[in-house]
Amino acid sequence: MIVLGIETSTPQTAVALGSDREILGEITIGGKARQESVIPALQQLLRWTDVDLAQVGGVAVGLGPGLFTGLRVGVQTAKTLAQVLGIPIVGLGSLDVLAYGVRSTRRRIAAVIDGRRGEVFFGIYRSVPGGVVRETEPAVRTPARLVAELEVMPGEVLAVGNGAILYHDVIAEMGPRVDFASPTTAHPKAASLVEIAAARLLREEFDRPVDVVPVYLRKSDAEIAWDQRARDASA
Amino acid sequence: MRLDLRTDTADDTRAVGAAIAAVLEPRDAIALSGDLGAGKTTLVQGLARGLGIEDQVVSPTFTLVREYRGRLDLAHVDVYRLEHEQDVVDLGLEELGDGLAVLAVEWGDAVAALLPEEHLEVELTTEDPTGASERRRIRVSGNGALWASRWEELAIALAPWGTTP
Repeated sequence: MIVLGIETSTPQTAVALGSDREILGEITIGGKARQESVIPALQQLLRWTDVDLAQVGGVAVGLGPGLFTGLRVGVQTAKTLAQVLGIPIVGLGSLDVLAYGVRSTRRRIAAVIDGRRGEVFFGIYRSVPGGVVRETEPAVRTPARLVAELEVMPGEVLAVGNGAILYHDVIAEMGPRVDFASPTTAHPKAASLVEIAAARLLREEFDRPVDVVPVYLRKSDAEIAWDQRARDASA
Repeated sequence: MRLDLRTDTADDTRAVGAAIAAVLEPRDAIALSGDLGAGKTTLVQGLARGLGIEDQVVSPTFTLVREYRGRLDLAHVDVYRLEHEQDVVDLGLEELGDGLAVLAVEWGDAVAALLPEEHLEVELTTEDPTGASERRRIRVSGNGALWASRWEELAIALAPWGTTP
């Protein structure tokens, strides 16, 4: 079965086509967010790989945490394609996919995505045969808080992701037990999405489309305290 | 860190904005507070001029966000019409201008917890309740290392309007 992967949760926009056995092709555009390129890149990829959209048997999409705009475009594009083509969809956490990209390490994995404005999205993982498992749930914190969490954990750490690169100096203060993954692994790969999702789809572990929604870690249930505005209105 | 200023005209208030712009760096955030008509948008117009933005800056009250390109990009935000903090979160402020824009947030004091921790606060007050006078008091406050390192430079830039020695 051919699976389409769409990953837009970081400033890297990527689409990939493949199965659990091989990646047929992947187009990755980096540097800055270019969500408008998702559909043109997909069209190009279908042409180059000689795949007809009707042959695609499933869609995999990165759910974040990550950039708002990218996630909205990526998730909506994936859901629309799944619905129109009548094929199953699988949503995967971007930090999971990022950690999966370096699963061959024996170190504990800190997957770190730049959350902008001085914060990072991160999750801590360890590798197991065939993949990675979460040791902490995805969270949004300052890089210093991430380091504080890592420091109470024993053993060596591999920091991966564009957040790990951006805050290299902060994380490096942990000393020699932290190492940094290559920049080539710094963004969740669309090909990794395809690989993970293809295995799930073969086991018929689909997600309900209604459950495929972006992961926004910055949440608030509060109402804005509008003392000032109320005062104006009564003036 | 705090500076108390006084301006006599709207142009004067714009000049304060332009002077603040001179010390700004990408990703800086400014929370503007003050009653309706206190001159928040006027100050942002000066800020934009100081950032080399040629487009006309108008109030973003109904569009929520307006983005401008300049020496540094500017994202001018107004949260006045929003009710829930999540509405502010959903604006994705940290992504505006590819994450590099200077953020100027009107009524930012009401959503301070959702802004970058070390933001500059600019509070405008008018002494004339009829609104006829253009005279304003402007209090500029900064917190944290980010502003401590620039405070002297900012104080010098704003000295012409200072009311404190």
